[in-house]
Amino acid sequence: MIDIIIFSIFGILAIAFSILVVEHRSLVYSAISLGFLGIANAVLFAFVGFTFIALFHLAVYVGAGVIFILFSVTMFKTSPTVEPRLKRIIFIIVPLITICLAAIFWSYSDIPLFVQSISYRELAITFTQDYWLPFIVVIIALVTTLIEGITLARREIN
Amino acid sequence: MLNYFLFLVIAFAMLGIGTYGLLSKRNMIRMLLSAEVMFNSALLTLLVLAATAGPIQGGVLALIAIGVSATEIGVMISVGILFFKTKRDIDVYTLSGTKKQKLGRRKP
Repeated sequence: MIDIIIFSIFGILAIAFSILVVEHRSLVYSAISLGFLGIANAVLFAFVGFTFIALFHLAVYVGAGVIFILFSVTMFKTSPTVEPRLKRIIFIIVPLITICLAAIFWSYSDIPLFVQSISYRELAITFTQDYWLPFIVVIIALVTTLIEGITLARREIN
Repeated sequence: MLNYFLFLVIAFAMLGIGTYGLLSKRNMIRMLLSAEVMFNSALLTLLVLAATAGPIQGGVLALIAIGVSATEIGVMISVGILFFKTKRDIDVYTLSGTKKQKLGRRKP
């Protein structure tokens, strides 16, 4: 019973923070909402059984990425953009995507939640032996992003 | 009783909200934030589906995806800062030069 309550709370929080990210007038509050969305998502990851991924998500995504967005957003002192008038079709998109994908994955409604214990040792071995090339690519991408960010930020504009 | 489908419904709802934000907003940073909502949805879907099939491989892919997402945030924010320094605006219509065409201000 307690798991249903926790799941309901964090599921509703995840959707509510998603709406706040998209719809809040202030970019700063949108970025903060993205951080809370990441936290709610991490709880859902842990619920499925991926505790290590949840911690990694909290540390890297919420702790670094979202905070980086938050501090960067404060640099943009812009007047609020006038958003275009919404077309009716955009209002249809959210329920349409949800219903279509739910219909495709309807077969998963028969599978009860079973929290598996994942061996971190096996995860590390798979990561370093079978997925070493993507690992190196990600490391190179992170380093080049750092260099690129510094270069762009220090660039003099005439 | 909890099942995997409930997690998927939440992920799909988040995907729809992110798609709506990406299509309806013109602010570059707002579009990036909407794309991040879609990324969170995709990550949740990946892990839920991996939990039913191959948790180790799914976990490794999720770790790589989170790393790539951090990279993407860095690139997009850097591009946004550069555009803001050059144009003093982060409206994508202004940046792409389509604003005048939309408003019909082109000289004959």
